[in-house]
Amino acid sequence: MKQIQINENIKLNYINMTKLKTTSVGIYIHRPLTKKNASYDTLLAAVLKSASRLYPSREDIAASLDNLYGATMGSTVLKMGEDHIIYFDAETISDKYTPNGEKLLSELLRLLMSVVFEPKVCDGAFDEKIVEQERQGVLDRIDAFINDKRQYASSRCQEETARGTDFAIMRYGDKATISQITPKSLYEYYKSIITSSVIDIYVCGDADINTAVSAVTDYVSELNFEKAEVTKTQIIDRDVTEVNNVTEAMDVTQGKLAMGYITGIKPDDADYYALVVFNSVFGAGAHSKLFNNVREKLSLAYYASSQLEKFKGMLIVNAGIEFQNFEKARDEVMMQLEEIKQGNISDHEFTSSINAIVNTCNAYYDDQRALATYYLSDSITATNRTLDEYISEIKKVTVEDVANVAKKLKLDTVYFLTGKGAENND
Amino acid sequence: MIKFDIREDKHTGEKLYSARHESGLGIYIIPKPEYSGTYAILGTRYGSVDSEFVVPGEKEPICVPDGIAHYLEHKMFDQPDGSNVFDKFSKYGGNANAFTSFNITAYLVSSTSNFEENLSTLLDYVQSPYYTDETVEKEQGIIGQEIRMYDDNPGWKLFFNFINCLYREHPVKKEIAGTVESISHITADYLYKCYNTFYNLSNMSLVIAGNVDIQSASKVIEAGIKKNEPFTEPIKKIYPQEPKDIKMQYVEKKMAIASPMFMMGFKDNDVNLSGRELLKKDIEMRILMRMLFAKGSDIYKKLYESNLINSTFSLDYTVQPDYGFTSLDGESKNPKEVYETILDELEKLSKTGLSYNKYERAKKVVWGRYIRMYNDIEDLSTTFMQYLFMGVDYFDYYDVYKSVTFEDVENRFKEHFKREYSALSVINPL
Repeated sequence: MKQIQINENIKLNYINMTKLKTTSVGIYIHRPLTKKNASYDTLLAAVLKSASRLYPSREDIAASLDNLYGATMGSTVLKMGEDHIIYFDAETISDKYTPNGEKLLSELLRLLMSVVFEPKVCDGAFDEKIVEQERQGVLDRIDAFINDKRQYASSRCQEETARGTDFAIMRYGDKATISQITPKSLYEYYKSIITSSVIDIYVCGDADINTAVSAVTDYVSELNFEKAEVTKTQIIDRDVTEVNNVTEAMDVTQGKLAMGYITGIKPDDADYYALVVFNSVFGAGAHSKLFNNVREKLSLAYYASSQLEKFKGMLIVNAGIEFQNFEKARDEVMMQLEEIKQGNISDHEFTSSINAIVNTCNAYYDDQRALATYYLSDSITATNRTLDEYISEIKKVTVEDVANVAKKLKLDTVYFLTGKGAENND
Repeated sequence: MIKFDIREDKHTGEKLYSARHESGLGIYIIPKPEYSGTYAILGTRYGSVDSEFVVPGEKEPICVPDGIAHYLEHKMFDQPDGSNVFDKFSKYGGNANAFTSFNITAYLVSSTSNFEENLSTLLDYVQSPYYTDETVEKEQGIIGQEIRMYDDNPGWKLFFNFINCLYREHPVKKEIAGTVESISHITADYLYKCYNTFYNLSNMSLVIAGNVDIQSASKVIEAGIKKNEPFTEPIKKIYPQEPKDIKMQYVEKKMAIASPMFMMGFKDNDVNLSGRELLKKDIEMRILMRMLFAKGSDIYKKLYESNLINSTFSLDYTVQPDYGFTSLDGESKNPKEVYETILDELEKLSKTGLSYNKYERAKKVVWGRYIRMYNDIEDLSTTFMQYLFMGVDYFDYYDVYKSVTFEDVENRFKEHFKREYSALSVINPL
């Protein structure tokens, strides 16, 4: 990976990956996660991608992308710990696969730079019609959050476990704040952040690095930047005296159980690698204890798994079960954790876990976005380890390390999405 | 040794090694030596639509319970020695999985090391059926929860309600996993009957893409193929006759969601094509759908600016030799108005005609999509197999793509978008 510091805030990262037939570009604008920012960032991301000075309408942007053999460009916001990121993602087939030798990447970069640094503005405000349409779209996304019940239960559990910290702020912000944003206040916000935020640009694929650098420099050399930092996330660290039990009822046919654990381990702690291996043994894959016990042995669920929220030091377990099996499933999850604490981890479970992690990491080398995301999150956590270093640390973890990590876990929240009228059944 | 035919596509730089083993198994390998990973998929031409067929060697057709192809897929993971095959893959760092669709059941593994061991395990377990009434019984609970998970998924319900509007008889309208009721009738005996019919290697293919050495893969395949008597005749699958007209124009259901979701589309009655003809239709329809409905189209602009659709709007075309349909889906405050607006606009367009410029643009997009398909070894292998089972050679793509003309697309436009073959499915909030 080549890194070129364009100015005090903007860094261009280039990953050469010519084995793929595409080149992808990601632009990440880092903001501190606050109630206001979450809402403004979300609407801003949607408004910026809709028009720019050079491409003043959605149709102009769509036509331009189509002509680049169906290049894609989208925007959203990401929540990586308490770093809230306005993210633009674009991709084109690499120049060597165009039938007539067209230069697609430089065109795509021009479009992207224009969208980010040269928005469509009149009288000190964004286009009113676009702001209204995109506002509606964002409100719809927030409402639609309940549509996917499995994801909903998992996110609600994360929110509960992170209660009292900024991480509990929803990724897309809140409807009340979004409803009050005006085309003018949004533009004011844009002006206040664009030169005072850390911006990472990742180009991955087949590019001439100098062309990419000058495409960016052309757009930013006139602007005055003010040095910024990426927000550091504190992990959750509190004593649990009593488990936070949360039950919600909705019209569902299957209950969704989610359990939130506090690990107390940061991405730069020495036992972080053991935590990753622990998660795999516990619930990440068909070799895991949750899969083999909750699903295979007891036939309680089709999915039963765990995932790490590394930025915040949380681990969340998810399972879809019959309403009346709530206690049985919850107790089985706790029992499997107990097994790991006791060091009851078979050679098979352990080796399979290491292999699965190593396999996943190695596969990043065939996936532009996965590799870029790895390095982005490495820079956010300031862990400074290459993917190869990460893999070799994973391989050093022992069974004892995993059991020791398991002992640090504290069950904080038990969340259950149950059926309407089913509340009294368990 | 297996003797491979080798083809090279000069537009993508990709090479295809293909062979038919004496057991009847089709073998297709697309090496990508610079990749870290390798992906192998072993699939059979057998899916949820195949509930009635003649077991080879028997005379009378049998009917099996709905959801059995998917059930069988789950039960392939049990091994005769009582072990679970996931354990073997895990040992070699292989990430194994399987899926059942309308027309295909497939078993797959991806890995970045020990590819030969993973491939050998894949071949071994798919050729080792082991079902007892006890193990079959045990799966009822797990698949029951899988079915309930889909019951809570509004997108899934939306889709099946939609195809239940379009189809009167064709089994594509049935849920892939069956129902809690239908799967309760599945027995070990049924599973063996299905296995012995559809898992004959002459009904199957193996596709590999990624970091693979042809010589060593070929040795593993040779050693891994068990004794198999290839069928000399095609398997007799029995499908009911599907009329051209649809079952109903509109259906709605209420679920716990925020705002209404819709899916609308048109039944494709130009069916029973295969090979290049089918691929050509596929390309024409994809160009057409983009011209008409993608961002940048007049219809999209009209719907978006009148707040009838939002960014979730998407378009698709589903194709098989014996059925096909176009679909448009998304969220809307007023799905019926979306439906009427689209039909009106299509009507107007049929008078003014399609734009040649937009045709050229959409055709470029379709080429980009094709090139992009080679990036991901999983997408590539799966897509390759899907086309293969429809009698389409994916390496013919460039030639067929080039042969598509504006007139072809205009003809499709005139033929496909008929009000009487259209339907609308809606999920409303409670």
